[in-house]
Formats: sequence, structure tokens, C-alpha cells
Amino acid sequence: MGTVTVAGGYLESLLQGQPRPPSSPLAWFNQLRADAVERASALKVPTTRDEEWRFTDISPLLGLSFQPVSAGSALDAADVGRFHLKEAAIRLVFVDGVYAPALSRRPEKVGTGPVVANLSEAVVAHATMVKPHLARHARFQDDVFTAVNTAFMHDGALVFLPRGAAIRSPIHLLFIASQKAAASHPRCLVIAEAGSEAMVIEDYVTLQQEAYVNNAVTEIVLADHARIDHVRIQRDGIEAFHLGRCAVSLARESRYRSVAIALGARISRYNLDTLLAAEGAECTLDGLALITGRQLADTHTCIDHAMPHGTSRQSHKCIVDDTAHAVFNGKIMVRTGAQHTDSSQSSRNLLLGARARVDTKPQLEIFADDVKCAHGATVGQLDSEEVFYLKSRGLTETAARNLLTYAFGAEIIDRIPVASLKHRLERTVLDHTQRS
Amino acid sequence: MSAVLQNLVNQPYKHGFVTDIESDIAPKGLNEETIRLISAKKNEPEWLLAFRLGAYRKWLGMEEPKWSTVRYPEIDFQAISYYSAPKPRKKLNSMDEVDPELLRTFEKLGVPMHERAALAGVAVDVIFDSVSVATTYKQKLAEVGIIFCSISEAVHMHPDLVRQYLGTVVPVGDNYYAALNSAVFTDGTFCFIPKGVRCPMDLSTYFRINTEESGQFERTLIIAEEGASVSYLEGCTAPRFDTNQLHAAVVELVALNDADIKYSTVQNWYAGDENGVGGIYNFVTKRGLAKGVNSRISWTQVETGSAITWKYPSCVLLGENSVGEFYSVAVTNHHQQADTGTKMVHLGRNTRSTIVSKGISAGHSHNSYRGLVRVAPTAAGARNYSQCDSMLVGDACSANTFPYIQVRNHTAKVEHEASTSKIGEDQLFYFAQRGIGNEEAVSMIINGFCKDVFQQLPMEFAVEATKLLGFKLEGSVG
Repeated sequence: MGTVTVAGGYLESLLQGQPRPPSSPLAWFNQLRADAVERASALKVPTTRDEEWRFTDISPLLGLSFQPVSAGSALDAADVGRFHLKEAAIRLVFVDGVYAPALSRRPEKVGTGPVVANLSEAVVAHATMVKPHLARHARFQDDVFTAVNTAFMHDGALVFLPRGAAIRSPIHLLFIASQKAAASHPRCLVIAEAGSEAMVIEDYVTLQQEAYVNNAVTEIVLADHARIDHVRIQRDGIEAFHLGRCAVSLARESRYRSVAIALGARISRYNLDTLLAAEGAECTLDGLALITGRQLADTHTCIDHAMPHGTSRQSHKCIVDDTAHAVFNGKIMVRTGAQHTDSSQSSRNLLLGARARVDTKPQLEIFADDVKCAHGATVGQLDSEEVFYLKSRGLTETAARNLLTYAFGAEIIDRIPVASLKHRLERTVLDHTQRS
Repeated sequence: MSAVLQNLVNQPYKHGFVTDIESDIAPKGLNEETIRLISAKKNEPEWLLAFRLGAYRKWLGMEEPKWSTVRYPEIDFQAISYYSAPKPRKKLNSMDEVDPELLRTFEKLGVPMHERAALAGVAVDVIFDSVSVATTYKQKLAEVGIIFCSISEAVHMHPDLVRQYLGTVVPVGDNYYAALNSAVFTDGTFCFIPKGVRCPMDLSTYFRINTEESGQFERTLIIAEEGASVSYLEGCTAPRFDTNQLHAAVVELVALNDADIKYSTVQNWYAGDENGVGGIYNFVTKRGLAKGVNSRISWTQVETGSAITWKYPSCVLLGENSVGEFYSVAVTNHHQQADTGTKMVHLGRNTRSTIVSKGISAGHSHNSYRGLVRVAPTAAGARNYSQCDSMLVGDACSANTFPYIQVRNHTAKVEHEASTSKIGEDQLFYFAQRGIGNEEAVSMIINGFCKDVFQQLPMEFAVEATKLLGFKLEGSVG
């Protein structure tokens, strides 16, 4: 009963009592925001009575008050240098959701080449490209957090790859949290035209350990034969709330590869929806949640095979320590007529803490007969025979367990195609597993 | 249902054993009066009436569940008559009077000659004296102290036992249909296996005379005391016709220390015609409580009939080292819908469970596996293995898998795997090459697909079930 008022308060405080983003010169952009405000006001904050949020109680979020940050940041390059990736020639930095041009590094746009720019500015120059896609893939009609993000849509990344363009170096999108009680609503849009190719790294980091909210939405659109690698690292602060959503749409023979790693946040939720909208599309989704303490990491994915000859591969792993709680819901949908779909999914969960908890639900919905679909799920602890084997080679029990835990997580991290990031994350897993 | 059979079922009774039929049918609608009437008609003790009324009040406050994938027009609970005296069926004088379509089905299934007669409603004493058979069985059971009777009889003969266990596994307010059943159930089976007794034969409703028409709201209660064991068979492979559309049964099993209950079901109720018109809604709550140390509860089901099958035979594994098993084959064709699976709730230490589910969908049907494996914090060393495979025949049907896995103990080990396959043209071609026709080939492929489940069935059942599946899917391949 208290929840209702608090919930209203939360949305109200987000939607009404707060500085709104500056209005855009584009009427349709403002209209989109206005529609989203209206929708967000009509929607309720989900509770555990909603099937989609059954295992993730976000009520702690509602008791707190958050403010979007409007002023530019006072950070300088020295503060953020440690987050840089040496492979990334292009870097857009957002501090508490606000674009920080001084900290960013991006190429001058040459002629009709690729665009990597801040959304709120670039949308004006590239409105004809953006309009057909923005808020069309991550629909806000049924999702309150996407609606709130759309209502506050301002800064974020716009990546536009013209036909045949290939950006060899990774595009690093760095989202830094620096203030407590800040609410960020970063919005990214990646448009890959036919045959184009790029790698986008979404990286959420923090400089402080108090509560804040990251409510991020990303849309990725792949035209025929396009290829996008998407790495998403969530290393928010231990008191933070992270609500992430990514909607991907794949055209004919396009390929999307994603590695999503969740390490931080008190409560995190990531919704990844991929729509294989044309024949021969292919996606690979890999995920790892490494959580401890009282963290909760929730990943919901949906792979929607709408057309024939699609391929999807998914591997999601969770390492859950202490009293942490991991949630995975992986839906694979094969629609009528999507013949020759080839799909496989695995959810593997390692419970380390005596009071750790896992709720997993791999889910298949198949409406076509000539398909190959399989999924598997396991929950358990380290195999005692494997531990024994390592002990027989002279390792201590602790060392053997740490090594096996590390290897369990490293399998996913190994799929990140950026060496420095990979090594940094492997280090993190190693530190995490060095327990006595 | 063919017109002939419809007529057969609906024919007014001519031979006059029951003189006052009208007065034995309750008016349509459900209210406290109806429940008092049912209770009074059955001459029930006060506590059972209180049980029914409690359930009814709970039911009033509940909402019809909408979460499953099954779709059906709204049920008007006030349009059902909740009590009628068992309907005597017209006894036929010989097999010649039986509908030829029904005979053809029996032939296909290989139902033994004497059973065919009984199933078709031919007066049994004309051909086969099943009464004496049943009586022999009853005597044999009584010798070892087993109680096996209708639940109404048990309420009068063994009230303490019924009262002790009724509603303990499926509480009256468990779900919408269980509450409805608890309020209005009219009959069902009661079975009690005393301490240390291994039931000398498979028990089956077929041999429980006078209750061939088990009714719309069936209630089954099986109790196995310490060290007891029993194998219970429900239903039969022969098609079963019934004029009641909604069936909401409740089955409760209780296994004490070292007890073992094996419950097998073959369900082949009327599934509606090829266009999905008619057919039975089978909304059942089945749950077993493995209460004692080392107890075991095993469900085996072959679900082929009903327009809608909506049930999840479950095991609550409370006793240390207790074992739960679920083996299921669910076949849907035409416009049938099945949403079935199991729940394994691990509460005790070192509890183990196995789930093997095979779903076959053909035509325009929908077949879903929905399962839950829950390991409570108390269930140290719990172990589960689940496998659910789907087979699709044709491109207009669907197969869904919704396995919920919830683990709250780090010493538990849970594995789940699922796959989807089809009857490939290359497979059929291979059979054809060896001189085996499509029909037989499909039957063999299906049989191989379902082998793990059929192995769990009592032998005669397994043979019939194999044929039944081939028969159900006839014409959907090739």
C-alpha cells in the first residue's frame, strides 16, 4: 500500500519535479519525448507480481530520489584516463549522462563518411537518417524505464555507418558516474547501412560508490550484410541501480555479436532484444554476471526469429557469491514460417555462496517445424572431480577452486575482441576469485 | 464426437433401473445451497461440508487464472449442474450394436476383447463376467489390508483417514480449479496402503466397479504408509466420451517413510473434431507429497486426448532422500492445446528428481511444457535432471518450453536440456526404402522418441500407448 505512493513519487519526481532536457529544434524529436512522458505517466513501476519482474524486486529504487544532472562535468582527463582503452581511436565520454566533449576523442567528419557523435547535436544534422529509427526499435509503449529514458532523451551516442563503411578501431562509449543521487538516461543509436562494419563498446564505470541510477537505452539497426560487434561492460558502483535496454534489428545476412558483462550495481537489469527480421540473419549473444555481496543481476534476452534461415547462439553464465542473486530469462521465439532456424542457448550458473540464489528460465517458443533448437541450463557448484584433479597436481583446495571459477568466467570474457579490455576484465575476475 | 456416439450417449435410458432421475439432478448454478445439497445427497459428515464450504468461499475470492498459453471461451460456472446421480448408460446386448468407428479404434489399439465390450458399454455379464473378476481382486486386496474404494465410500467407512489427509497436499485454496473441485467434488478414488504392504497388483479404476462414470469433479487420494508401495493406473487408452466439457480433478498422493507411489495416467478423452469444435477441458491439479525419509513419488502420463490439457503433476520432496519422477508424453493434433509439465519442489536434504517430457504437436495444435524446479535453502545436496524434447509435425503447430529453475542452495545440482526435432522426410524415405509404409514408420519414429517414457508404463499400457500415438497422428505426416 505504501508502495503505490512511493512508486508514484518516484515517477513523478523523475518526470515532473525535475529539470527537463533542453528542447530540440526538431519538432518530431520533442514530440517523441512528450509522447514518452505521457506513456511513462500511464505506466506503473513493475513489481514482483509482474511476470517479467518476478524475481527482481526494484522497490529499493523507489525509496530514493534522483536528479538528472544538467551542468557539465568538472572532471579532467586525469580523472578518467584509467578507463581509456588503448585500441580505441574513437571515444565519446558522458559524465552522469552529459556529453563531455573535452574528454572525448573523435575524428572530424569527412564528407559522407561515418558519423560518431553526440546524439543531441548530431540528430539535427542527420535527422533524415535518425528519424526512421529512433525509438522505433526500443519501443517505450510497454516499458516504463524505456519511456522515462525517451522522455529524457538528450545526450548519448549516434553511430552512423554509411554503406560499405568499416571502422576498424573500436568505438568506445564511456559512461562515467561522478555524482551521487544522479539519474542518467543515456541514449544510443547505431545505424549500420548495408555491408558496413564496426565494433561498439558501451562501458559503464563509476568514480564514487554511492547510489545513483543509470537508465540506458541503445538501439542498433543492421542493414543487409552489416556486421556489428557490441561489447557492454557494466561496472557501476556497488550501490547503483542499472536499468539497461538494447534493441537490435537485423536485416538479411547481417550479423550481430554481443558480449555483455555485469559486474557492478546493487540491482541491475539488462534487456536485450534481437529481432532477426530477414533471412539469413545471425546473432551471437554472450553474457556473464559476476556478482557478490547482496547484488542482484537480472538479464532478460529475447531472440526473435521472424524469418527463415536465421542462426542464433547464446551462452549466458553467472557466478554468484555470498547472498547475491542472479536472474536469467532467455526467450527464443521461432515464428511461423521461420523455417531452417538454427538456435542454441545455454545458461550456466555457478553458486559459490551458501545463500546465493539463481533463478533461470531458458524459454523456447516454436511455431515452425523444420528447425533446430536446443537449450540447456545448469546450476551447481564446481565439479568435485575437477577440483580433485587440480589438487592431485599439487594445487591447494583454494587455489584449485579459484582457478576453476576463473576459467568458468574467462570463457565468456575471452570472446571480447579487444585485448586490453579483455585483460582488464580477466584481472577483475581473478581478483574476485582470489578468496581464501 | 460422431453423431452415432452422440446419440448413444444422449439416449434416454429405457430399461428403467432408476425411476426418479429428475430429482437427482441439482439445478444449474453454484452457491452454498448447491454445496449443502451435494453434501446432503451424499449423506456426508459435518466436517466435510465445512471443508466444502471453506473451499467455496476461497473460490469466490479467487480469479480464473489467465497466465497459461491455452485459450478457450469463458466458462460459465453457473451453467453447470454440480450434482447428478451416476448416469446409467444404455446397456447394449452384443458387440454388434457398438458403433463401428469405436470398434475400429479398439482394433487399432489392440484393446483386449473383453475390455472392448466393457468400454463400449456392452452389458458386461453378456460377454464377460467382470464383476466376479473385480470381486476377486477386492478380496485379495482386503486380505493384505489395502483399502481401495470410492472416496464417498471411504468418507463413511474410514472417515478418520480421509479427514487426516484430504486437502493436505493440495490445500483448498491452492488454485482456482482446485478450490472449485474441493467445493463440489462428487466422487473419485480412495486408496490406502498400510504399513509395510506392497500392493500385490496394479490398481486401476477399471476394476473399481460402480464408478465407471467418475464424473466431472473427480477427487483422488492415495496414501502409502511406511514402507508401502503401490502402482496406480488411471484412465485407459480407449477413447472416452463424456458430455461434460469441464473436468477439474484433484489428485493427492502422500508417501510416508520408505513408501513408493507410482501413478500412471493414459488420457484419451474426446479432443474435439478436426476443426476444434467441442472436446473436453481437462484442468487438473495433481500433486504428491513425499513426506517421509526415502519416499518416492513417480508420475507417468500419456496425454493424447482433451481439447485442452492443463496440468502439472508435481512432487513436493519434503522427506530426506526422497525421490520425485515425472515422465510425460503429450500429443496434440488438430486444434488441441496442451500446457503441461511438472513442479519439483525440493525441501529435504539429498532429494532427487528426474523429469523426462516428450511433446509432439501436429496439425494446428499448441503444445507447451511448463515446469518448475525449485531448490529451497534447506535442500542441501538436491539433484535434478530434466530433459524436455519437442517434435513438430507440420508447420502450423507450435511447441513451447518454459522451464523455471530456482535454486537457493549452493550444494544443489540442477541440469536442464531441451531440444526440438521433426519427422524428417529423409527418415521416412529410409523406412520406405526398407519396405515400411509411412504410417508404420511414423509410429516407429514416435515410439523411439517416447521410449524413455513408455518404459515407465506397465507393460500392457505401454503396448497400447505406442499404438495410440500412431493412431492419433495418422494422416498428419506425408
